[in-house]
Amino acid sequence: MLSWEYPPHVVGGLGRHVFYLSKALSSKGVEIQVLTFTDGSSLSEEVIEGVKVIRINPYSLRYPDFTSWIHGLNLLMLDRALKLRGFDLIHVHDWLTATSGIALKNLTRKPLVATIHSTELGRRGGNLKNEHERHIHEIEWFLSYEAWRVICCSRYMVGEVSKFLGCPLDKIVQIPNGYAPNSFPKPAPINRREYARDDEKIVLYVGRLVYEKGPHLLLEAASKLGRSDLKFIFVGDGSMKPYLVELSSRLGISDKVYFLGHVPDDVLHALYRLATVAIFPSLYEPFGIVALEAMGLGVPVIVSAVGGLDEIVQHGHNGIKFTPGSSGALAEAINLLVDDPGLCRKLSENARRNLGAFTWDRAAEETIKLYERILGEYQIGSWKPRV
Amino acid sequence: MMRPILHITWEYPPFVVGALSKYLSEIIPNIASQYTTVLVVRGDTDGVFESQGIKIYKVGSSVRTHPHILTYAHLLNLDLLRGAANALHENGGASLIHSHDWISSIASIYLSSYIGCPLFISVYTTEITRSHSLKSVLSLGIFDLERYCFQRAERVFVRDHQMRDLLVSEYGVDRGRIVLGNDPETILKTYRGILN
Repeated sequence: MLSWEYPPHVVGGLGRHVFYLSKALSSKGVEIQVLTFTDGSSLSEEVIEGVKVIRINPYSLRYPDFTSWIHGLNLLMLDRALKLRGFDLIHVHDWLTATSGIALKNLTRKPLVATIHSTELGRRGGNLKNEHERHIHEIEWFLSYEAWRVICCSRYMVGEVSKFLGCPLDKIVQIPNGYAPNSFPKPAPINRREYARDDEKIVLYVGRLVYEKGPHLLLEAASKLGRSDLKFIFVGDGSMKPYLVELSSRLGISDKVYFLGHVPDDVLHALYRLATVAIFPSLYEPFGIVALEAMGLGVPVIVSAVGGLDEIVQHGHNGIKFTPGSSGALAEAINLLVDDPGLCRKLSENARRNLGAFTWDRAAEETIKLYERILGEYQIGSWKPRV
Repeated sequence: MMRPILHITWEYPPFVVGALSKYLSEIIPNIASQYTTVLVVRGDTDGVFESQGIKIYKVGSSVRTHPHILTYAHLLNLDLLRGAANALHENGGASLIHSHDWISSIASIYLSSYIGCPLFISVYTTEITRSHSLKSVLSLGIFDLERYCFQRAERVFVRDHQMRDLLVSEYGVDRGRIVLGNDPETILKTYRGILN
């Protein structure tokens, strides 16, 4: 399995996905080796819960930009992968490890599986603005073309990969991401009064501070609400942070908003416990593992009706949905929920009950079924190594 | 029966970029008269044809938009690797792999590593000679890749003393691995020394 991120080097949901999936696959008897990145601060080889993790340091080469950096990492990853023999199948995640996966497939003539978590066209709102973005988009096409099967985490992503990459629908398999109960450490001892008065309720945002996650919509909603009994806490970092700080000042709500940046999991757990409601106002969301985590910790969620979030949440049953991009609709949803403890309780209880559909065990079982099906097809075909 | 010699290049007639294709079209048929030769080249589409006793695997470009030469080189090599992997599997492997310049040498490293055969690289120019000095991160990135490839070759062919000295002093290539002369006679003599 090839992935550019894996703990402790985690950028977004992809790293956690590969961590939990590989662990669950290993627990079900699949011998699995993960090739991933290191900056030198983590071990170059170790076994984590049955998974052999091999980390590649790409800094023996220099790169003018991120795209070249990814190509360099793939180059060195392939070099290392060729020393591993005896594998039956190659599994890559996103365009970020596509080139090493495609090379490995062609050299060894072993089947290639690709999980496409999101697409460049989707991330860029349907508009590729420069050569880097077009280059990435074409690599995504190349990956979906070369892969034996493509895994997507939601119905929405199946549609996106089919529409944006021209991938035949019968080549795409939907396997939802999982939620890892008890993955959070014990909550850190934090003082609620550091964030809110006793009569104030806490509205929590967890996610990267980037446009596609919609953090600006929550600030606009906070301004429209004009309530003195709410505090808004943003957990996560990103390029939009300076803009968001300025926007909250311009909207006159600076005293109602905290930007905590990235926090350790025990602090995040504690913050979830303090929150009355968790908000995920994404404009683009292939799945939304973070919403499952909030549900698992018993926090009622408000999500935009977009992508995977739209599929996870049934409005009024296990959460509240609002029109994507509408800060007015988000404000109404917050008003509805924070003033109705009964509704909050109902939503969080239903949400917890429904989480059984999203476990890494289940994701691993479906992935193993897919591996077996591919290997069966491979066995009867003539495309085999001859050297 | 001896396995073929596999040449990898980004240009060979009719797929011409610059002077390299003309030079290769003069030396490779000579080599093919002595050894079974397979050549992989960047072409218009994927396909196989024969010319002057050489079995040629051409590969089309899978990705056509590139921010700069470095990303182009990586994807070019991925396509060359696709073609070369097919050539290896269809022809029972290779006795040795010979690539031409850094821009088609990345693929050859993996191919030789995969089948465990010797790798030869002919060096015609380097980033230092092309750009006179390494003034940008892009140039440094190309230089690093050149160094990475040249150091992995069992033999490096150069045309003159100046290039040999440059490869030793700037690229850290072992002087004993550098062969002076990039002509058919020198190349064939070196092949015989390794293969016989």
